[in-house]
Amino acid sequence: MHPSHPLWARRLFCFIRTTNYSSAAVTAPATASNSSFPLKNVTKSNFEAALSELRSHVRAADFVAVDLEMTGITSAPWRDLLEFDRFDVRYLNVKDSAEKFAVVQFGVCPFRWDSAKKSFVAHPHNFFIFPRHEIEVDGPSSEFLCRTTSLEFLAKYQFDFNACIYEGISYLSRAHEDAARKRLNFAYGDEMLDASSNVTNVRDKKRVGIADVLFRERMKNRLHEWRDRLLSERNMEFQGQEGSNDHKRQFQTIFFKTRPALTLSDFTSHQIKLIQLVIKKHFEDLCFVVVNDGNADLQQFVVYVDSRDDKELLMQEVNRDQNKAAETKIQSAIGFRHVIDLLSSEKKLIVGHNCFLDMLHIHRKFIGSLPSTAEEFVSSFGKHFPYVMDTKILLNDNYILRRRMNKSNTSLSSAFGSLCPHIAFSSLRVNALNDCVQVEVQVDDLRSSKWNSGDKHEAGYDAFMTGCVFAQACNLMGIDFIDCSTSKNLVDNEILQKHINRLYLNWASGDIIDLSTGNQVTESFKTRKHRVRVSFENIVLIWGFSTNLTARKIKACISKVFGQANVSSVNHLDESAVFVQFTKPEMVSEFLNLKEKLEKRDDPISVLHPLTELFDARATHAAGYEAYKKICSSPMSKLLFSDQAEAVGINRKTMLIKSEAKRSKIDQAVDMLDETTEIQGTEGEANDLSSTNYQSLRSSSM
Amino acid sequence: MASRFSYFQLHRRLYTTTTDQWSIKQVRNSNFHSCLGDLKNHISDSDFIALSLQRTGSSSFPWHRPQPFDTLDTAYCKAKYAAEKFQILQFSLCPFSVRDSKLIAHPYNFHLFPRDELNIGMPSYSFSCQVSHLTSIAREGFDFGAWVYDGISYLSRAQESIAKAQMGCQTLTPNTDAVKSSSEPSVFDTIFVQRVKSRVKNWKDAYDSSSKTNDALLSTLKKLIVGIEQYGSRPSIVIDVYSERQTLLALELLKEFSDDVVPVVISAKSGGTQAIRAILTSSKEDKILLEKELQNLEDEENKKFRGFREVIEMISASQKPIVSYSSLHDFTFIHSKFLAPLPTSIDEFASSLHLVFPRVLEVKHLMSKIGGLSKPMSIAAALSYLKKHYYAPTYLDIPIEAPGNDHKPQGHNAIRLCHLFAKVCSLLKIDLSGVQSNNNECLASMLEKCSNVSSSFSPYHHEPKDEDVKIWARDVRKASCRHLVFLWGFREGMTAPLLKASLEGSHEVFCEEFYVRFVDKKCAIIVFSQPGLSETFLDAINSDCIVGSLREMVSEGLRATGYETYKRMCRFDLWEADLAESLERAIFEADPETAQLDINYSNDTVISLDDL
Repeated sequence: MHPSHPLWARRLFCFIRTTNYSSAAVTAPATASNSSFPLKNVTKSNFEAALSELRSHVRAADFVAVDLEMTGITSAPWRDLLEFDRFDVRYLNVKDSAEKFAVVQFGVCPFRWDSAKKSFVAHPHNFFIFPRHEIEVDGPSSEFLCRTTSLEFLAKYQFDFNACIYEGISYLSRAHEDAARKRLNFAYGDEMLDASSNVTNVRDKKRVGIADVLFRERMKNRLHEWRDRLLSERNMEFQGQEGSNDHKRQFQTIFFKTRPALTLSDFTSHQIKLIQLVIKKHFEDLCFVVVNDGNADLQQFVVYVDSRDDKELLMQEVNRDQNKAAETKIQSAIGFRHVIDLLSSEKKLIVGHNCFLDMLHIHRKFIGSLPSTAEEFVSSFGKHFPYVMDTKILLNDNYILRRRMNKSNTSLSSAFGSLCPHIAFSSLRVNALNDCVQVEVQVDDLRSSKWNSGDKHEAGYDAFMTGCVFAQACNLMGIDFIDCSTSKNLVDNEILQKHINRLYLNWASGDIIDLSTGNQVTESFKTRKHRVRVSFENIVLIWGFSTNLTARKIKACISKVFGQANVSSVNHLDESAVFVQFTKPEMVSEFLNLKEKLEKRDDPISVLHPLTELFDARATHAAGYEAYKKICSSPMSKLLFSDQAEAVGINRKTMLIKSEAKRSKIDQAVDMLDETTEIQGTEGEANDLSSTNYQSLRSSSM
Repeated sequence: MASRFSYFQLHRRLYTTTTDQWSIKQVRNSNFHSCLGDLKNHISDSDFIALSLQRTGSSSFPWHRPQPFDTLDTAYCKAKYAAEKFQILQFSLCPFSVRDSKLIAHPYNFHLFPRDELNIGMPSYSFSCQVSHLTSIAREGFDFGAWVYDGISYLSRAQESIAKAQMGCQTLTPNTDAVKSSSEPSVFDTIFVQRVKSRVKNWKDAYDSSSKTNDALLSTLKKLIVGIEQYGSRPSIVIDVYSERQTLLALELLKEFSDDVVPVVISAKSGGTQAIRAILTSSKEDKILLEKELQNLEDEENKKFRGFREVIEMISASQKPIVSYSSLHDFTFIHSKFLAPLPTSIDEFASSLHLVFPRVLEVKHLMSKIGGLSKPMSIAAALSYLKKHYYAPTYLDIPIEAPGNDHKPQGHNAIRLCHLFAKVCSLLKIDLSGVQSNNNECLASMLEKCSNVSSSFSPYHHEPKDEDVKIWARDVRKASCRHLVFLWGFREGMTAPLLKASLEGSHEVFCEEFYVRFVDKKCAIIVFSQPGLSETFLDAINSDCIVGSLREMVSEGLRATGYETYKRMCRFDLWEADLAESLERAIFEADPETAQLDINYSNDTVISLDDL
């Protein structure tokens, strides 16, 4: 995550990038020319064509690998405490991430087994997406968060920000689509309603300006003239000739739905309202129509109708057009979601690497808002994507694969390197081993089996790597692709059944969620070492204490009251908060009661209590684990945990207002204490030197 | 479209009025340090500095933006919220002077990206982007790639001191005279002082003798025993300190050796001082040389830490009057990004800002003195409005920049602002060209003209806080915020006339004249014309014995609250998408304990809240 280049190198790199991109801002290259890995880059301009091609590829595919690039992962440092997150809390934190950050690149790579060539054919696609609004959508989707380091990270791997923002494909979630549809219908209905209410408004106004009266009279005469000429010329050939030139500009005769009509242009909205009023009041056979031609401009017409029936017919026709235009607009606004719909409707096996967050993003961006619990999410997500495979789980779950990985890192690139060296390094391709699955890459109609490695952390290439890892893993587990029935029914394969739909909810603690049942299990501990069991009911959360208190000091402080053996650990969430883990759950309430008692009482005894040091700062608060869950569930993300707790309102509810008198008493007592314990204090401080301090001491005396 | 159009108009006009081709210097990381010298000269040669910020977004929900019914406090809360959330994308700056109705301007446009140059999670952990904002910036041809790759980073003053502490930087002791032991030395102090003194003495003696003997082995051994280190070519010793008190004592005693020993403070990671390094110099000249060296090193270090803030420091140091279009909006951003986190109250903000930027001129406020310009509009729109309605000749004279600059239309707002400022001043008969000759007098009179601006910001001329607010953007009428009631919980698709009609006759307070204004779809404001009616209404709606159609509406979900709730909601940062949501949260969280806190400064509305 952290750029490791020396500063000068980055500067140089920056310089090169600038010169490259200052002119290339407007059009993004359809296929990346600098990357030697064949990959289809898809932006707004080639989306339609790419989509129709992708349809056939996905239909023919045995599985589809996906990968997402986001503008960030965690919105606050304390949301990243994997070890102390229970299932439900972890879900809340992942949900927070999926709600706040944007997806900027979406890699889709269908894999198809070619039985003739005995190899897989992969079609890596790299979609640039951007949450631009093609139609009006309100709500929080119009904003997204960027993690500074994540943007730098993307920049390091040469992400094309201009392509994303200028040319990125927009999208509309299902929920937003419904809302937009409702709105368009409503807006239309509203317009009609609006028009009528406006009419009454104008009439209701007590004082109508003389200018308005004159204008209405003039319009009435003009419309009369126009209609009369229309009727008199009806038997002759209609010529559409106008009398005088001055109002020709504003009144133009055309045909609207085979009826003679006037286009009204260059009128102000108030004038249009007056004209509407005139028509309604004086002309039975004229009809006012507003047409939205899809652009921002509205066009207004006055249409001549033969009869009341004809009028109704006309209104129906106009409505139909309106709906049709709205429909096409919505269809085009759906944009990238067509790809998601395609994956969903084809019910293919979706393969991702450590992809729980990706799935939440897919749900949030393309289906609808995220439910508040993991169970609800699973049931909602399962309706759209019944089969998901996580390669990270696969590599850790399966004994054969674990042995093959030989305890190496299960990150995507390292798994790709160790499982698929024949694909990763083209030099090894020649002496490929027998147990290696062959993969060819096809972009457009060009098929290739040799390439240099692509850009890591480019969604399209990452999806390709994920697919290759999966294919190779299947092969190693003994799934025989040559038997063509297996590849067609991957989702029913017996060997895969054990692993399918299992996703890491929390990789650090090994919590796994089963997407088909909603069950949550923790990975067996045999596979991992150095795991500390966290029992959440034994945890007390303390925040807002003074900054010079370290975890060690707090532990010492609490141990004096509860005993050394009963405080099993004290860990920092961040500099402003700690988790204290007791050995028994009842100690949690004991601790909280003690805190309350100490804060209420202000006699010298309670002041001498060892915990007073911890609670001395007025802002110190403590709560059980459920409060932590509540704080995590908040849509806010303050940088410091104590600020977050305050913003969520936990502080305000538990705060006890201390009287000033009590404060001064404490101060007196503390002063007294200071004198007697000064020697002890300095000794304690000396022992408590942080390790870095100690290091520097040593080095200085060398 | 409108702003683009007017931009081209302006563009054409500028081209026709001046023969010189003008361009705005685009500054990124790669050319940042090389342009600072020029900028410094331009700033010191100019009378004013115009600035304008391009942000990554403004609030997406209508009520999060400043509304006419905001008081200064709530407007500040909103500006603070936006400043903490969004980033500055481009900082355009234009030092300028006016001479004989000729504008001499030097426009710069800085591209900022909060890159974590030092790997310490600063200046910004994350920031928000508004999609519509980015798309409109994209339409102007902004290069987002260059923004991330080559934007200039920065640290605020507060962040710099944290960063320096974290990285254990060393600083020259600022002023040893200021170091005075305040209280009587304790036993520990005496022991500490004696120990350190003898150690320093030994070290000095050891070094003096070892330099004479020149025995390599012996000097190494001595180094090991006494703890001598080398600082560059000079010997040094590190004295560890465990408190600020000890730091003072150590510095005090080192003054005894001040002929040839230079003390340097090394900060600890947790803030404060970790150790003091004493460096031995060979002579007085050598000492001066060393001090210079250290100073340069510190300057170099500062440059690395400050990044773009160097420009802010430059502006602040110049003490030139700053011309801003919307000062609250601009300076909340500047304060939070380049000075320190924003304080909770506007008074603290104003006084903190005043120390750094004593003279800020708000063009928006100046413009309100010209008729017909009371409604809010953008800089470009204001400029074209003035051009259409008034004759005020000003000529731009912008020196040609060195070739090789890209001429993309970016960062024009600062130069537009200079232009607008010059025009407005000429309309208001403020003579800008005189500023140079009789500096103080002219400026004072001008400042008086924009007196409201400075009072809205400065804590010094504080009028009794006028709590009157405007309700409609284009209406000059004002109402006291005590006459305002927020109302929500009515059926969807309600309009102001319908709501007004249904309220009329529902309660006696509505017999008097009242107004209804919708804030967003789900929340409206009622403005009573008579004092006391809002309280009566709030009491009525919250009492058990409401009758008639009002009872009907309340059982349908109608809720109401006073302006205090709105204020508290802004203060506690309860920014939900809908105003109604936020108001409900503010009421919900106002349990008796917090209500007590509120009583101290507001007696009116809390009582009714308790009833809820």
